[in-house]
Amino acid sequence: MENKSLWKKITGSREALLLAILVVMGIFITILNPTFFSPVNIGQIFRNNALTMIMALGMLCVMLTAGIDISITSTLAFAGMTIGMLTKYNIVNSTLALFLIAMVMGCFCGAMNGLIIAKGKVAPIICTMGFMYIWRGMAYVVGNSQFASGEDVREFAEFGKDGTIGPYIILIVCYALFFWMLKWTKFGRKIYAVGSNAEAARISGINVDNTLISVYTIMGTLAGLAGALSVSIYASAQPNMQYGREMDVIAACVIGGVSMSGGRGSVAGTFLGALIISIIAKALPLVNVPSIAQNTVKGVIILVVVIFNVITQRMVDRQNLERREM
Amino acid sequence: MAGKSGRSINAEQKITAKKLLFTWEGALIVLFILVNIFNMNISQSYTFANVLREMPKYLAEMFMVLPMAYILVLGDIDISVGSIVCLTGTLTCYISNAGAPFPIVILGCLAAGLICGVINGSIATSFPELPSMITTLGTQIIFRGIAEISLGGGGSVAYNNTKQIMPLSTKLGKTVPVIILVVLVIAIIFTVVLQLTTFGRSLYAIGSNKTSAFYAGVDVQKCRFIAYVLMGLMASMCGLFLTAYTYGANTTTGQGFEMEVIAMCVFGGIASTGGKGTLIGGIIAGLIITLLRIALGQANVNSQMILVIVGALLIIAVLIPGIKGKIDEMKKLRAAA
Repeated sequence: MENKSLWKKITGSREALLLAILVVMGIFITILNPTFFSPVNIGQIFRNNALTMIMALGMLCVMLTAGIDISITSTLAFAGMTIGMLTKYNIVNSTLALFLIAMVMGCFCGAMNGLIIAKGKVAPIICTMGFMYIWRGMAYVVGNSQFASGEDVREFAEFGKDGTIGPYIILIVCYALFFWMLKWTKFGRKIYAVGSNAEAARISGINVDNTLISVYTIMGTLAGLAGALSVSIYASAQPNMQYGREMDVIAACVIGGVSMSGGRGSVAGTFLGALIISIIAKALPLVNVPSIAQNTVKGVIILVVVIFNVITQRMVDRQNLERREM
Repeated sequence: MAGKSGRSINAEQKITAKKLLFTWEGALIVLFILVNIFNMNISQSYTFANVLREMPKYLAEMFMVLPMAYILVLGDIDISVGSIVCLTGTLTCYISNAGAPFPIVILGCLAAGLICGVINGSIATSFPELPSMITTLGTQIIFRGIAEISLGGGGSVAYNNTKQIMPLSTKLGKTVPVIILVVLVIAIIFTVVLQLTTFGRSLYAIGSNKTSAFYAGVDVQKCRFIAYVLMGLMASMCGLFLTAYTYGANTTTGQGFEMEVIAMCVFGGIASTGGKGTLIGGIIAGLIITLLRIALGQANVNSQMILVIVGALLIIAVLIPGIKGKIDEMKKLRAAA
């Protein structure tokens, strides 16, 4: 398999398939509505989905270790609600400090997840489900039946206001950082090793527990960052913000080819997966499909992509078997 | 029990009171009593009659605990049930508003749930290599999406004729709500089927080891299919009773139910990795959470505080087996030394 041609490498990769889907979608939408490809539209696609895209990076790392984290939007609400209250009552007003507070809180929440999953040997979905309830409840407790409106967080919202480049910079920095981390650092390769075969990784001297804890801590930190960004972009902080949206993040990863059993997935794939979901949301109204049909289309695409993947995998397996029999 | 299912290699185990107390179900019963004492202390109006009156609101979720236990025992997971509740609830409202007679309304709702279950089941069984979390994530979004489309721009629907669905929310003899009896009957059936029949035991076999169950002659995919169909059916029961108590449905009906139901099961000792736990535990755990909600609601505790308590209970519950295992290990090491 070493002398695999470059062409085969490109056509065989998951990212190429996703890119092809994206291009076809783009052409299709542009034919139906030529206004789609304007800089304003593209900018809005990224701005409106910055939260999903950022958290998808953390989810990628978690899913690479064969885990899952469904507490992220609760962490987001807890951190976002806290900084919303802090700036509402003028306790902290510096934008940077608020971002840092949110990230530290997210880091703490994620570390709790990681500790219990790694040291307590608890199934990730169950542990994060527990924290999903706890942090969401804490968001309500912090809010004390109040919420921060646009007027309360005006200064902080300057950062993510429509037309500013703040959210884009955060997005680009995050993606560049994770691309580098997962591909070229020791830690990144450890994540893949733990996900592919935890036992083999342990025997070859990788501290599996520490890797797991770090991965969930990273996820939490990103969720905290997304919380601050959410308050800034939408200029409000409510305890129920982004409720149930963790499934969007997981869906972005799944469409992007991240395997739930661990060890398989890439930053590029995750990005394309998140982009496909974002474009569907933006483009449906433009091509005269009512926006209430958005979820149905999204669900169908998820199923089609994963089932297509299984069928191609089966074909490849069968071909390999036939070759061996000859 | 072991004798009936044909696994009586060992002699029947002696069941002592001490052993019973140290099972997960025993611990849950103790916790159940403690929670009731706690509830009576924090709320003056926590009486039997009041609890009976407030319970139906929360009891609709109990329908889904039963088949979810089956699915978790199989080692699968179904996160589309909240959306099935929404879809079937919406359909029930539309069928009823179209003037259909009461039996047709119920049959229509159950048929819709059945179809949702069949869809989930056939995807799960035709592509067994896909994790059930992903396929049901897809159908979760689709089912709620269809409900959203049928609800249209307004996003909600109410019963035109609330008298028609009144039979679902009435009380027998003016004290016992119908829903309690229905839940009780279905719970007994589900428990007996899981613990005492061949089908129930084969679910455990599949959950413990799919491959060996297959070679032992269990039709793995058929069992999984039945579990998913039952799940869809019970989710539609939940949708039916939920809308009967809330007089309508909207796009957020049943949102988050899937996680609440899974939490009740796991708290009840049913492992999400499959093959472990009993339905009795799941039912007691569901009751504990329901009663806590009622009492905290009566005591005017911030209603979201219950989330923190449920989450903490869940994490403690899943941590205990690990801690117990570590202690046992240390004891063994000490004995060896």
